[in-house]
Amino acid sequence: MRKTKIEVVQSEYERKEQLRRRIYAVLPIISVALLLLLWFLASSAKDSNFPSPKDIVDRFILFLHKPIKDMSLLGHIWASLKRVFIALGVAWFLGISFGVFIGWNKKANALLGPMFTAFRSVPPLAWVPLMTMWFGTGEFPKVLIVFIGALMPVVVNTQAGIANVQKLYLDVGTIFNAKSRQMLFEIAIPSSLDAIFAGIRTSTSAGWMVVLAAEMLGGKSGVGFLITRGMDSGDYSLCLLSMICIGLVGALLAVITQVLERIICPWTAKKSS
Amino acid sequence: MVSSEVPIENWALQLTERSNYTTRQGGNKMSKKVDSAEKLTDEERILLVQSQKRHSDYQLTALSVIGVLGFLILWQIAVMLGWLPSRYVPMPSRVIQLFFAKWTDPNPDGATLGVNIIGSLQVALTGFGLAIVIGVPLGLLMGWFHAFDKFMRPIFEILRPIPPVSWIPITILWMGVGLKAKAFIVFFSAFVPCVINAYTGIKQTSPVLINFSKTCGASNFTIFYKIGIPSAMTMTFAGVRVALGNAWATLVAAEMLAASNGLGYMIQQGRQFARPDIIILGIVVIGAIGVLFTSLLAKIEDKVLGWKK
Repeated sequence: MRKTKIEVVQSEYERKEQLRRRIYAVLPIISVALLLLLWFLASSAKDSNFPSPKDIVDRFILFLHKPIKDMSLLGHIWASLKRVFIALGVAWFLGISFGVFIGWNKKANALLGPMFTAFRSVPPLAWVPLMTMWFGTGEFPKVLIVFIGALMPVVVNTQAGIANVQKLYLDVGTIFNAKSRQMLFEIAIPSSLDAIFAGIRTSTSAGWMVVLAAEMLGGKSGVGFLITRGMDSGDYSLCLLSMICIGLVGALLAVITQVLERIICPWTAKKSS
Repeated sequence: MVSSEVPIENWALQLTERSNYTTRQGGNKMSKKVDSAEKLTDEERILLVQSQKRHSDYQLTALSVIGVLGFLILWQIAVMLGWLPSRYVPMPSRVIQLFFAKWTDPNPDGATLGVNIIGSLQVALTGFGLAIVIGVPLGLLMGWFHAFDKFMRPIFEILRPIPPVSWIPITILWMGVGLKAKAFIVFFSAFVPCVINAYTGIKQTSPVLINFSKTCGASNFTIFYKIGIPSAMTMTFAGVRVALGNAWATLVAAEMLAASNGLGYMIQQGRQFARPDIIILGIVVIGAIGVLFTSLLAKIEDKVLGWKK
């Protein structure tokens, strides 16, 4: 009797556990379904011109036949991405070098740090009017603004990483008679790689956000342009379609940088998880 | 024994010398000083190190001042001598002059500086406050209760990668061009870091503390309230700091795209009227207010989290 009772108790617990797991598996589906339902309700209300999911799909198909400004949807995405990539490449290179310089050299930090902090406290988008005034509305000012937006997180993280290298590591270097060049390249930089990568991750998402805003403020191509175009012509399904694309590309960029980090410095994965 | 002690001493001396070098308190001079410091008593040595440290502190402060002043003076001179066209680059003195004039003069954007600042602050603080009030509890609940996490997570993950600026057309469609629409966009940008950090913070609650409370018979909600929330506070504050920066940056974008007053509108109008001095004044004021808020938040954090340090 005793034995069977124990078995019953156990299986009841197991059943509960199984039930809970099933509920957990269903909950995400319910929530996404609710979100979609909400969307349908919002779009089907009488006097609302909010586009329904079907409108988005229709708009997408229409876009395939009728490109805007002689560019397909992918073309516009690529136009934005190109700006981001150029700016990111330059920002990573200059940002990491500058961050290492002011992180390693205290005097350089004292001389340039306050200036940099002052520039950093200005949101990158606030530069847009000045840049368009100086350089017009071409490709260069947009890349420059994305560059400013992407530079700041890289420099801040690199500087913090280099300045906070554990003293123990540096002392080990001293014991083995390392030159200060070796200390920098073989101890300080490798041990602050995870901080640098945190900066790279932030700069990628910041760059993507800034390019969008820069294009919204005046551009002839790119996803940001598509949004303002939709807004100006009352074509809200175009707005939503480009928002979805922006979200997808942004998520994709985040995944790519994560994979890159896994490959280049695999030891940071343990720390972050 | 004796012979083995000598190299160790040398080695230790070399270590202090080198580590002084790595903390960068002045390269070659240091080694000579250390040699002479060998013959000093401990107290003298402490005094020597203290004075060196003070000296290098002075030096660093002086360098900071030189850096900032040098930049401004160079800028002023470059414009005065005509190296930079004054039509595009205003002199710093002109910007300072404008700063005082702009408090009473509504030209050219139709509002004085005070009105613009208050307009911007109103929107930013509304959005930011709402983001904290809604975002932090949401993140805490998601981090603690699994069922809620499973339910909210997909919605959050779908909405998260869409940059707040791209919501502008849709919010204008919903709410028109007013405080509500701008506050919503600011809210959205500040909301995401609040949720993420509160969530991660409460997930990192030490299992030892949780198990201990369970042993003492605390209910799940009591543990959440008494253990989970306090231990998540550090991370949450970091999130709030990020949220503040985001909110301020997004506000500027929102005001540039759709507004009739505020600092973002002011610099946009400066562009329209080709007035670089207005733009630079706006940029400086925006940056200064951002710094002010960040330091205010740091003060609050010190007060609230003082018990942790």
